[in-house]
Amino acid sequence: MGDDARARLSGALAGLANGIFGGGGGMVFLPLMSRSALSGRQLFATCVGVVFPACAVSAGVYLLRASISPAEALPYLLGGLSGGFLGGALYGRVSPLWLRRLFAAFLLYGGVRYLL
Amino acid sequence: MRWAAAFLCGAACGTLSAWGVGGGTLLLLVMTLLLGVDQRTAQGINLLFFLPTAASALLCHRRGGYLDRRTLRCAVPAAVLAAAGGAWLATAVDPALLRRPFGIYLLLSGLLLLRGPGNRGS
Repeated sequence: MGDDARARLSGALAGLANGIFGGGGGMVFLPLMSRSALSGRQLFATCVGVVFPACAVSAGVYLLRASISPAEALPYLLGGLSGGFLGGALYGRVSPLWLRRLFAAFLLYGGVRYLL
Repeated sequence: MRWAAAFLCGAACGTLSAWGVGGGTLLLLVMTLLLGVDQRTAQGINLLFFLPTAASALLCHRRGGYLDRRTLRCAVPAAVLAAAGGAWLATAVDPALLRRPFGIYLLLSGLLLLRGPGNRGS
């Protein structure tokens, strides 16, 4: 498969996952594009560039059709903003390796909970 | 109390996202499994949550010249169309129908994360 076709297919599957599951399109896009000629940093940056518009469109559809009140979302958004600053200030002082492992375990736990 | 819990969970997930941990599904799981938010609302909030963080990251990546325009030209239209279709589907069907596919998706994401290069010790 050529690079352009691979990018189209990866974008479509990432967008679909984002729309249906409400997030996680990057987890689809990154492994599918890992064999492209892009460097690691380019791939990660481009992934954000693909997932951002997909998220914006999906969020618009959810706001229109799922009657989500922005007021309900507000504390999460404000918390996220504060957390982003805190994370940026502490960046490099905490090794994300064990946090990633914990997150992977949480994903597996969540997967089992959803399947049961 | 509920507002404070939501704020603290958002802050924790925002902190972890800044360290590259979370992958766009952490807050969603925290909302559904720990805070009892219904699936569809959690998905909508999760999408909104991602937007400001991603916008600021995109500005930095653009300044650094890391965005590959050719890949974006191919992938973005496909991603946007598929996202609109997926979101429409998710808001049209009974959320219970999507539980099993979402569970499988989470398991695969967890396994991929454990096997990924960023997760091996240095």
